[in-house]
Amino acid sequence: MDLALTGDQVAILDALDSLAKPFASPPTHDIAFAVVSADLDRALAEGGFLDVAFDPDLGMVTAALVVERLARLPFATAAATSALVRPLFGGDAPRPICLVEARQSKRPTRFLREGALVAAVGADSVSSFVATGDQVRTEDALFAYPMGSLLVDPVRAATTTHEIAPDAVRIRWRIALAAEAAGLLAAALDSVSAYTTDRQQFGRPLATFQALRHRMAEAQVRTNGVYWLAMKAAATLDAGDAALAALHAQESARSCVYDFHQFLGAMGMTLEHPLHLWTCRLKALASELGGRGGQALAAADAIWG
Amino acid sequence: MNFAWTDAEIAFRQRLRDFLAATLPDDWERFSQHGPASPALTHYAETFCGKLADEKLLTPHWPKEIGGEGLDPWHQTILAEEMWVAGEPRGGQYMNVNWIGPTLIRYGTPEQQARYLPPIAEGRALWCQGFSEPGAGSDLASLRTRAELVGDSYHVTGQKIWTSYAGLAQTCFLVCRTSDDRKKGISILLVPMDTPGIIVRQIPSLIGEGDIHEVFFDDCVVPATARLGEEGEAWSIIGYSLTNERLGIPRYSLARAALDRAVSIMQTQDEFTGEAVKIEAAHCAALCEAARMASYAIIDRRARGEAIGAESSSARFATVMAERRVAEFVVEYLPEALADAHPYLKMHHQRGIVAGIAAGAAEIQLNIIATDVLKLPREPR
Repeated sequence: MDLALTGDQVAILDALDSLAKPFASPPTHDIAFAVVSADLDRALAEGGFLDVAFDPDLGMVTAALVVERLARLPFATAAATSALVRPLFGGDAPRPICLVEARQSKRPTRFLREGALVAAVGADSVSSFVATGDQVRTEDALFAYPMGSLLVDPVRAATTTHEIAPDAVRIRWRIALAAEAAGLLAAALDSVSAYTTDRQQFGRPLATFQALRHRMAEAQVRTNGVYWLAMKAAATLDAGDAALAALHAQESARSCVYDFHQFLGAMGMTLEHPLHLWTCRLKALASELGGRGGQALAAADAIWG
Repeated sequence: MNFAWTDAEIAFRQRLRDFLAATLPDDWERFSQHGPASPALTHYAETFCGKLADEKLLTPHWPKEIGGEGLDPWHQTILAEEMWVAGEPRGGQYMNVNWIGPTLIRYGTPEQQARYLPPIAEGRALWCQGFSEPGAGSDLASLRTRAELVGDSYHVTGQKIWTSYAGLAQTCFLVCRTSDDRKKGISILLVPMDTPGIIVRQIPSLIGEGDIHEVFFDDCVVPATARLGEEGEAWSIIGYSLTNERLGIPRYSLARAALDRAVSIMQTQDEFTGEAVKIEAAHCAALCEAARMASYAIIDRRARGEAIGAESSSARFATVMAERRVAEFVVEYLPEALADAHPYLKMHHQRGIVAGIAAGAAEIQLNIIATDVLKLPREPR
């Protein structure tokens, strides 16, 4: 076992940090629930950062590292499915890829818009189509992603049935979810740590009060756990590892999100502070693939039969 | 990043499993319910550790020049995992090989090493750690047990409490005060437990017979040569020791093994069927594996020779979360395990309560994480 980043991984993450530097702070002129940048998306695609998993020498772990790092940005990108799931569909598959469960396709879906590849993951098959304008509706949702809803049954609308095992998609979906959640948790915790260090009440920084310190420390423990479970699952592609990673991610989102806003007090209710750009994305991830119960049952099935 | 074990590591784990299968008695699981410091388990541990030593499996991670095999921290971890999953048949001797020995190797004089390391490496030694006092538990720096240097001897007077293994230990790793400076006034003495003036009283405990004690020191005379390190150096030595102690006990492995055993039992009884029990079991597994990976991340750094610090507290707290959730799972879904039906699970449950208390309370770990990992400003004192 060697958990250090390889030289290639260090180089890729350094290059990613350089590319993302202009996007490290939220836009001050655009206070919104979700912020996206076409420039960032274009730069990521052109730089090949979302295609690292196509390279067998880099593989899924490197892709998961890219996803985790990008999730720390205040800008939402469709990196997770592009980097970790798209390799199953081939290099010609358009972006973004919007994954929907065939039986729950009415739910709001991240990045769903005209031109997106909608992949319906059913019990026995995976099918897809490129969404047209009249097949989707943009949602004004309380999630910090651009969200859309399908107006059609994705299985009936599908134009392609893939020779891909549905479980293979679900494994990568869970890894993508966990890797993204790890970055979101880390960024949210950094943001809360900075604010509570600066904010003075009762004559001292909020972060000196043990009532907050211990809960933030527990959030660090959870964030660290989500990160490592996601990376391990990316390495093994094991169904149990992937389900445990996604379960820990969704459970940690549940545990941390409201605490993070609570620690900011009234500032935690505003859009002026960027915290929601990470926490509201965590909320969007919380329901995917059946939520915690869905991951837990998948994990139990994979581990104990 | 590479998450796969090497062939050598896989072979080492298998060798340990073969050894355990061939060595442990048939009734081991029921026998292991004796407390880890009980006379019965301590006596058995001498035999077991002797056999481990014969196979060069007791201190394989020690340097070769000290009698070890020079194996890396991953091998040490595999050894610790397999022993804990088996119910820790090394008894209190796990402590010797994990941190007493390494601390003596790093800080001991040649005379101290010559006296104490061979019995540890041969599986004949039992130590106790004289840390906590009635007024100094989590706040260890408040300790008052005093060692006055008179001529070439220290005169030790004071009281230790909740001291594991003290009833049968031959030597105490005693933390005591040699001056009034809160932290720089603390020193370490290696005190033979048969020194006149030492009185040991057992405290009944949830963990089992013989686990924790009060230890009284009444003007015990200890030669100055028994001091480990310099006067006032204890705080940094303890930091080194506790880092080893916190990582040396892979409780996540026993918790996961207990979880798997509980599920297996329920499956044979056709009780692992509803969604609620499966969901809760999966939460337990997630916490166990998160703790395992948090620990591995630290071990990996150690294997590369990097300094480790506060991150070990994060791994330790993750393990506490896992231990508690598994224990609660068994309480809720397999309560007969806390009676006599399933000795392995009873053993896990008894020992699990220690996870968040010993070697620095869980809340202390959270304080360390807040200050040294998150870099939050310290609480006012």
